[in-house]
Amino acid sequence: MSTTSTLAWRLFRHEAKRGELTIILLAIVLSVGAVLSLSLFSERLQGALKERSAAFIAADAQLRSDTPIDEAWLQHARDGGLNTAKQVTTRSMVFHRDEMSLVDLRAVNENYPLKGTVNTTDVPFGQKEAARDLPKPGEVWLQSLLFQTLKLSLGDSIEIGDAEFTVTKVLVDIPDAGFSVFNTDPIALIRLSDLDATAITGPGSRARYVGYFEGESSAISTFYDWLTPSLNDDLHNWRTVEDDESAIGRSVASAERYFLLASLLAIVLAAVSIAVAAQRYSQRHFDPVAIMKTLGATKQVIRRIYLLQILFITGLGIIIGLIMGFIGQQIVVWLVAEQVDVALTIWHWRPVLIAVFTGATCSLLFSLYPLMQLFSIPPLRVLRRDLSTNLRSRTIQYVASGGAIFLLMWIYSQDLMISLILFGSGVVLVAGLLGATFLLIAAGRKFGSGKMGPWQLAWARIKRRSMENSVQLISFSVTIMLLLVVLVMRNDMVSQWRSQLPEGTPNYFLINITGDQKTELDTHFKSNGITIEEFYPVIRGRFVAVNDDSVNTEVSKEDDSNTEGRQGLGREANLTWSNSLQKENEIISGTWHGDNTDALEEDVFAVSVETDVGERLGIELGDMLTFNVGSEIVITKVTSFRKVNWQTMQPNFFFVIQPEAMASFNPTYITSFYLPEAQKSQLTTLLKPFASITMFDVDARINQLRDIVNQVSVAIEFILVLVLVAGSLVLIAQVQASMDERRQELAILRTLGAKGSLIRKSVVFEFLIIGVVAGFMAALANELSLYMLQTNVFQMTASLHFEYWVIAPIVGAIVVGALGAIGCWRLLTLNTSALLRKMV
Amino acid sequence: MIKTSKVTKSVTTSEGTLEILHPISFEVKSGESVAIIGASGSGKSTLLGLLAGLDEVSQGEIHLDGEPLHTMDEEARAVLRGQKVGFIFQSFMLVQSLTAIENVMLPAEIAGLDNPKQMATKILEQVGIGHRASHYPNQLSGGEQQRVAIARAFITSPKILFADEPTGNLDATNSHKVEDLLFALNREKGTTLVLVTHDNKLADKCDRQLTMQAGELTESTVLSAIKRTEAV
Repeated sequence: MSTTSTLAWRLFRHEAKRGELTIILLAIVLSVGAVLSLSLFSERLQGALKERSAAFIAADAQLRSDTPIDEAWLQHARDGGLNTAKQVTTRSMVFHRDEMSLVDLRAVNENYPLKGTVNTTDVPFGQKEAARDLPKPGEVWLQSLLFQTLKLSLGDSIEIGDAEFTVTKVLVDIPDAGFSVFNTDPIALIRLSDLDATAITGPGSRARYVGYFEGESSAISTFYDWLTPSLNDDLHNWRTVEDDESAIGRSVASAERYFLLASLLAIVLAAVSIAVAAQRYSQRHFDPVAIMKTLGATKQVIRRIYLLQILFITGLGIIIGLIMGFIGQQIVVWLVAEQVDVALTIWHWRPVLIAVFTGATCSLLFSLYPLMQLFSIPPLRVLRRDLSTNLRSRTIQYVASGGAIFLLMWIYSQDLMISLILFGSGVVLVAGLLGATFLLIAAGRKFGSGKMGPWQLAWARIKRRSMENSVQLISFSVTIMLLLVVLVMRNDMVSQWRSQLPEGTPNYFLINITGDQKTELDTHFKSNGITIEEFYPVIRGRFVAVNDDSVNTEVSKEDDSNTEGRQGLGREANLTWSNSLQKENEIISGTWHGDNTDALEEDVFAVSVETDVGERLGIELGDMLTFNVGSEIVITKVTSFRKVNWQTMQPNFFFVIQPEAMASFNPTYITSFYLPEAQKSQLTTLLKPFASITMFDVDARINQLRDIVNQVSVAIEFILVLVLVAGSLVLIAQVQASMDERRQELAILRTLGAKGSLIRKSVVFEFLIIGVVAGFMAALANELSLYMLQTNVFQMTASLHFEYWVIAPIVGAIVVGALGAIGCWRLLTLNTSALLRKMV
Repeated sequence: MIKTSKVTKSVTTSEGTLEILHPISFEVKSGESVAIIGASGSGKSTLLGLLAGLDEVSQGEIHLDGEPLHTMDEEARAVLRGQKVGFIFQSFMLVQSLTAIENVMLPAEIAGLDNPKQMATKILEQVGIGHRASHYPNQLSGGEQQRVAIARAFITSPKILFADEPTGNLDATNSHKVEDLLFALNREKGTTLVLVTHDNKLADKCDRQLTMQAGELTESTVLSAIKRTEAV
């Protein structure tokens, strides 16, 4: 080993043993540990959530196609290590004796589903359980509703196309049934091998072909890249778990963004603590460097010794940090195991790499300026102790620290927007704080004179230590701000999720209610203690023309020959009418007819069209749409397009017509109600008097959704706790570091006979003042960051949080003041000579 | 050994240039011991810093063992210090995180000498604190710390030793011990000694005294052998 390495190692060994590296080591351990535990935990959580989301598309990826999927593609996927499955889906009539019903027919091969489960039960509307197999050839599983409409029992036979099937089980749901409540027909599940026998999927049929793929995401990406050139946008649609636009997909996505945010903030916290610690480390080594230089060490020798030292510290910090982080997340996993699913794989390389990279980058880049200060210490300091660094420009410090934080944020998040927002708010905060420091100094000048009481001493110290205090103020404020962002963001997000599905969200839908039954139904349910929601009028209408163009109106295979002309809906539409816009509907162009006072021409009525269907059918504002309702013709004019949130558990409609247009029709009504789990057995009794009314059960879907939201909320809570703990440790480290700087002054005051209480009070007051200012500035910066994050990243409605303008300064003052008091108390327990000795 | 010619030192302040040392010229012969005395603020330590190559002259020339210190940059001066110069300071200036023996080894290691540990052990024995070799500075008394510093100063057998108030932080008993040790080693190794002090008795032990006043060298007194013997 060379002399420099020997020296570096010796210094490192002794300093570590004597506890002199504790602060900087703790900072690195904290940063690596926090980043690792946060990312590892969120990776495992996301793994589990992704697994659950995957269950909603029955695979990791789906290829939906209007034409049969090439067997060679599936073979290629299997060759690439993926599992595959197939499904053909179409709408068809099923017959049982004299009854018939339109079903959503799903024909699947033996591998289906690759993710998630098919759930069945033995009695209609019974408790579901996961099926271990699929219908055998010649068998069909039907959803509960069909048992009602077809008057079926298990063991009966039904006809689908040319083939006959035996009904062997009640199907509750399949993984990729979809969420649409209103526009779906009940599902019939058969084997793909039986499909040909039905003869319902000939040319021109509306069959959709689905290929399912499951495997490592890299293998899926490779397969997709290989497949892309063969895909045709008009025919094919590739979907993966990540593209999941459902409520679950979006909840998971925003949770992921939250985890990312929390981890980013942990990185910034880590960076702040390392910056503080590195500065302190450098200052403590001014003397040894001056001595070594005096004894003949060249700058190069000093540089090598201290770079090696930093490398040793970083290495040790990273190793301990990884161990602590791993233990930390394992404890969290163990604590939340009851409430939250996490992936069983406990080791992921990405979080480990990120944690190591964070620790290394932070400690090296944040040490850069302090080390440069150290290298430039003049040897003359051995004679003139007041001499410190002759490094004047701080540009390199700002560039290195700012660059390090931004680089880490960007690399980690791979999201420029989120990184820019957090970084930008940080810069604004720092600028604001520098201004605040000047105000504080001015206040110090005003209040710091006169008779020496604890307040005067506190203000005087604030004024005198303005530079150190500005650094401290900035680090306190940044820490408090980051904690506020994580806390408030979590509160806003969880409450927004919960509001999507409040307790009592209707879990059953009733359709085909006649006008006469409305009151009776309402009374009957009320007498059973169940409240019925609003009744929506519904009438089946056939969408026949846009302006003068007639459209395809076929609903079944009988119309297959007619494939010419403008594309239609492919089935009858459920038309409703209202002047008030439904919940979670948003007008995106035109004017909602309920708000439009301008009368249209006579016999022309306004219609609002769901934007996606409008796009699919090529409808534009001002187009005249013709519907056939029974034997009548209704002509409407498109006056608005609506964006509909299909994930809300409420009836949603493609077309909402002006009520006047429908006055002469006799509609049926649709409504919903909430039935608690415990009262589920009452369902049959409730519906008995209304045989003609059909019921949709969305309870399972709602529960799944709520389950995930709850899980994610609990997980977020723990992430919040982790960040709070990390933040508190950073605050402690900061106070500790600054206490060190105050030691000398305390020693002198003590020597001059100042009472312990005066010193203690003055330090506490000083920290109280700094805490109040830091808390207030943090609350302001928090608003700015939250506004930007919520509007740009989380797609949420931003709001102001005035309560934190009061809470943050108070909590800041209490916490920082208390930490100051504790730190000061430790120093005051030392006797004066020990204090003085420590100064040397 | 040391030759200065019209050495000045000035610093720039907000109120203009302040001359701390006015042109100073003198010579110190090899093996000679010289005390620089004067009131506080007279420029003694500034002069010592310049002579030892810790600081740069504003004008003038300093030759240290024939080497032109005034033309060297900080790096070259550091190398020169490592090869030819030893130091003793008022506040001992030991590296707090190294033990006594490691502090003593430091200059030898920096200079790349062989067997620094044996050398350090030997010299620590010589200064009488071999038994405290593995103690950290804060575990040693002031006198012991200064003895470690003396051992550190002599380990590389420097040609010139600079001492800045070497007994300034010590009580009378320890001062005497340290003075005796310093001069004994100095004689034994034939080192040139330049020390800055307020202590007239210590100054009297030197061959010559240079008196500084307001940045100027006002007096150079050669002490008789008898006086020096008396002082010793």
